[in-house]
Amino acid sequence: MTAALSNDLVLAIPELILAIGAMALLLLGAFRGEGAAGLVNWAAVGVLALAAWATLAGTGEAPRLAFSRLFVVDDFARFMKLLVLLGAALTLPMARSFMARAGAERFEFGVLVLLATLGMLVMISANDLITLYVGLELQSLALYVLAAFLRDDAKSTEAGLKYFVLGALSSGMLLYGASLIYGFSGTTNFVDLAATLGHGDGTGPAIGVVVGIVFLSAGLAFKVSAVPFHMWTPDVYEGAPTPVTAFFAAAPKVAAMALFVRTMISPLGDLAPQWQQIIVFMAVASMLLGAFAAIGQSNLKRLLAYSSIGHVGYALVGLAAGGLQGVRGVLVYMAIYMVMTLGSFGCLLAMRRGGQMVERVDELGGLSRTNPMLAFVLAALMFSLAGIPPLAGFFAKYFVFVAAIDAGLVVLSVIGMLASVVSGFYYLRVVKVMYFDDAVGPLDRPIPLPVRLVVTASGLLTVLYFIVPAPLLVSAEAAAKSLMP
Amino acid sequence: MVAALVLMPLLGALAAGFFGRLLGDRGAQIVTSGLLVASAVLSWIVFFDVALGHQAAYKVQLATWMSSGALQVDWALRVDALTAVMLVVVNTVSALVHIYSVGYMAEDPHVPRFQAYLSLFTFAMLMLVTADNLVQTFFGWEGVGLASYLLIGFWYKKPSANAAAIKAFVVNRVGDFGFAIGIFAIFFVFGSVSYDTIFAAAPAVAGKTFNFLGYDLDIMTTICLLLFIGCCGKSAQLGLHTWLPDAMEGPTPVSALIHAATMVTAGVFLVARCSPLFELAPVALQVVTVVGASTAFFAATVGLVQTDIKRVIAYSTCSQLGYMFFAAGVGAYEASIFHLFTHAFFKALLFLGAGSVIHAMHHEQDMRHMGGLWRHIKFTYAVMWIGSLALAGIPLFAGYFSKDTILEVAYAAHSGPGTYAFWLGSAAAAMTAFYSWRLLFMTFHGKARWAGHGHDDHGHAHTPHESPLTMTVPLALLALGAALAGMIFYDNFVGNLREVFWAGSIHVAAGNHVLEEAHHVPEWAKLLPLVLSLGGILVAFWFYILRPRLPVALAETNPLLYRFLLNKWYFDELYDFIFVRPAFALGRLFWKGGDGRVIDGLGPDGVSARVLDLARRAARLQTGYVYHYAFAMLIGVAALVTWYVYRIGVTS
Amino acid sequence: MDALLKEYFPILVFIGIAGGLSIVMILASLVAGPQKPDPEKLSAYECGFDPFVDSRGRFDVRFYLVSILFIIFDLEVAFLFPWAVSLGDIGVFGFWSMMIFLGVLTVGFVYEWKKGALEWE
Repeated sequence: MTAALSNDLVLAIPELILAIGAMALLLLGAFRGEGAAGLVNWAAVGVLALAAWATLAGTGEAPRLAFSRLFVVDDFARFMKLLVLLGAALTLPMARSFMARAGAERFEFGVLVLLATLGMLVMISANDLITLYVGLELQSLALYVLAAFLRDDAKSTEAGLKYFVLGALSSGMLLYGASLIYGFSGTTNFVDLAATLGHGDGTGPAIGVVVGIVFLSAGLAFKVSAVPFHMWTPDVYEGAPTPVTAFFAAAPKVAAMALFVRTMISPLGDLAPQWQQIIVFMAVASMLLGAFAAIGQSNLKRLLAYSSIGHVGYALVGLAAGGLQGVRGVLVYMAIYMVMTLGSFGCLLAMRRGGQMVERVDELGGLSRTNPMLAFVLAALMFSLAGIPPLAGFFAKYFVFVAAIDAGLVVLSVIGMLASVVSGFYYLRVVKVMYFDDAVGPLDRPIPLPVRLVVTASGLLTVLYFIVPAPLLVSAEAAAKSLMP
Repeated sequence: MVAALVLMPLLGALAAGFFGRLLGDRGAQIVTSGLLVASAVLSWIVFFDVALGHQAAYKVQLATWMSSGALQVDWALRVDALTAVMLVVVNTVSALVHIYSVGYMAEDPHVPRFQAYLSLFTFAMLMLVTADNLVQTFFGWEGVGLASYLLIGFWYKKPSANAAAIKAFVVNRVGDFGFAIGIFAIFFVFGSVSYDTIFAAAPAVAGKTFNFLGYDLDIMTTICLLLFIGCCGKSAQLGLHTWLPDAMEGPTPVSALIHAATMVTAGVFLVARCSPLFELAPVALQVVTVVGASTAFFAATVGLVQTDIKRVIAYSTCSQLGYMFFAAGVGAYEASIFHLFTHAFFKALLFLGAGSVIHAMHHEQDMRHMGGLWRHIKFTYAVMWIGSLALAGIPLFAGYFSKDTILEVAYAAHSGPGTYAFWLGSAAAAMTAFYSWRLLFMTFHGKARWAGHGHDDHGHAHTPHESPLTMTVPLALLALGAALAGMIFYDNFVGNLREVFWAGSIHVAAGNHVLEEAHHVPEWAKLLPLVLSLGGILVAFWFYILRPRLPVALAETNPLLYRFLLNKWYFDELYDFIFVRPAFALGRLFWKGGDGRVIDGLGPDGVSARVLDLARRAARLQTGYVYHYAFAMLIGVAALVTWYVYRIGVTS
Repeated sequence: MDALLKEYFPILVFIGIAGGLSIVMILASLVAGPQKPDPEKLSAYECGFDPFVDSRGRFDVRFYLVSILFIIFDLEVAFLFPWAVSLGDIGVFGFWSMMIFLGVLTVGFVYEWKKGALEWE
């Protein structure tokens, strides 16, 4: 009993670190008051780093289950957890100066990010519909609050409220789907589900299960903001404080995508013919909407919101392809996407003119002359997001499309490539404005150090990825393998 | 040595073209002219070695150009007597023109560019005449075309210059098309483009036919006619001649070099070079004769009434090229090249002399605004006389030897086309003399009509002035050539020494003794051209010195004929109606309808417009109302569930 | 009768008892209590508000804060009932589980206390 328990707890060490850390910092903040904001922020980064270090333990081992099979730890989980932890850890330091200027430097920010991250880790390791839901809700509740973090700002509170209402709706759908699945299969555990659904009597799955899968997918699609469950994304991304948007675009998306992949591949893997069409539809719709709707946007955050919708579409192409290659494609895609998106939002955070955040595309005019380095990094990121070789974004798209073509989804790939061409328009427009339009004026200096570091790092990773692509590919391959039955 | 000779102009062109700003005007002039003079000296050495010294012909292999299956093309320089003659012509005239340009273009802001183009042209022309195979010839052929285009349009701010450049380029394309097909045909028939291989294999093909659209056509005739189409374009023969007069929009040194002495004679050169082929195609030769004779006559008639000093000479050039062609057509290639040789000197002289006049008149070219100039520019007056005497074929001057030989061989051919050529040629000789002296009298004699007409936009004093030394020295040298070239080289080119001189570089069929027979034509046929020329001069004297009112009266009494001639037999109008306007209409149709409406409309413009529409619509989906969003989610779920239920219902 | 329905029989009994008991209580209060109605007493008691006023009226947000805090703790305490009943079976592990749970709850409580959420003014 005790041995089994300690075994279980060992597997959950990263989560425990985050949970204990979050509570400790909450108490610290409560007793020290608002002055502790900076301390809590950096301490939170430390906790995240510690969790990341703990996550690495046992890499390469066979998947292990814990807590009565509610919880699973495998290389896939480790890969995704590291991404999530990295995303969170990079957002926190970037947020500080922004929050300070916005007059919202509160220690709760760090604690909320830790709690949200804890939820994400639980999601990633979920091996049961119950665990899935618990992790998802823990994450979501923290995110609702984060979206409305600037509680005196109308846009921020509106974003928080919209996110909350729609999130509640999606949670409802997810729960309803889960209950249908439970009702028709008699279990909520992923392992049992796989066994039950995999051994049908030849008539295919019961219609209830299929409806349940649809609802479950809808709930998950909401979290990754895939069309048609994406509607919250532009409003929330625009309204939420920029560092929070950066966090939204990075960590939760990775976690939700991990959950999506695990749910589809592991318990529902044998029903692939059923769910593949849902995913294909969502992928196509997301890619097209992400490409077209962004063209008319003048707000950079909104533009990046649509961009993230489009990118989810591309990642879903990998999921639709399924199999080792497809999952590997998704993993590589999410990793590269996260780096690019953090860099892009870092650039946004770096741009401030006359004390105001630069958020509109036309305010970037002539940036190449006033801030050449920043303009170069942003241009590189835009090119990369558009998927132009030899930048990292190209490889991300390349691997999912290769997987899709190998899986026979040629039409899907072609649509994806065409959407990619269309999306090139608005990415390149940003570059054009920066390099060819009249200068609007210099930006405020200095750019905060953490922002500069993140922007530089993501720029370097994006530009130089093609030199050493192997480590990411190898680890993604290993992670994907651990998910395969 | 030959390689250096050919490549030095290229070097000059590159230097002046790419580093012109570095070298400066003077530097560019020195570099290009220096290299050209060196090249000219070398070509005279080659001429003395190969042509006069009877050294064996040889080849210099530079590199392999392309090697693709059976197609094997080399960069090789072929040096034989024919090449040597052309080298001398090209490089001598070119060097003199380079030097002349120093004075003539002194006030132009783009001197290095001009010199670069001149040198580039020379390089291309040298590639053409030294080519060892048809593809290399074609390279040079197109190279001179390009240089000609660039030089005609040198003053690119003048719309008329641009139009003339385009016209020259397009009309030449028609000819080049024929030439290219000819090359294809040769490669198809012989499996090679190398001259040696072709010439060796040609007799075996003679008389064979091939079937094309149900007609049996003679292979050699077809090939030779195709080549001749190319020659017609380049040498401005009747039908494809319309570009040459317009090409006078270019600076005068260009007209002298390209449109009188060298490039336009490329066609004649090609016929001579391919004489082993033409000798096997009697029908093609008859065509060449008729076209050449017609051109000689036609251009002379038009030359009678032109008032632009350069255009008169241009039509004269056209006419003289006709002489060369019908000489080749009756089988006297040597005579044809001989005329090419002498013509290069006296026509370049006439052009440069005209240039000197124009220079003196501050870029006035209309002879009606000249007159009485001989007092002001005596040297130019003198050399123009020499040039005209040579052109008219007055004894002892160069033209006398070559032109009379040509008319004699035409008579001696004793064939229908030959006789046709003889009579038309003789008529043209009379007209040539007439318009030459008309030019002299209108320009240099009579009342001065130039008050208030000089294009004096560069602040000179208004009195005509003699040209600087850089212009007069080349004139003097050319005058020397125009006076003496015929006398000195008669024996070598067409006289008793011709067999050893040409040393097989021009092939004459075994039964072709036309040159020999030319020496035995009746006396009246020998004298007729001279008499006609003198008559022409007298008529001109009567018209323009004794009774200056007469030409006007004549034009008024015969308005139809006058207008017909003045408008160059309405060739331009005809072409405009038949080709240019339909082409423009077709172009406009494809541009506005095809490209603009169909391709742009459905393609880039249409797609981008649709994309924007979609973008606008997609953005409008985002209303900002939570209930809309929630509704969209529910609709999505409902749609997916419906689809699945329907699908499963159908399959199970 | 079906075995399945048999299993639900106790619930039927429970419903019957609950319904009967409610009726008895209401009747008893009607019979035993003095009836002195006034408008305030008759109006529906809805979170301290007048039920028929303009919905845009202002009210103090602290009211919700307190009620939500109450609900949270109330619900968490509900977990204690099954725990208490089964404590004998789940042993030390069960005991410490609840202690940790309560500890977490306490952390939240400390936070809200320190933030002053429990003070009205």
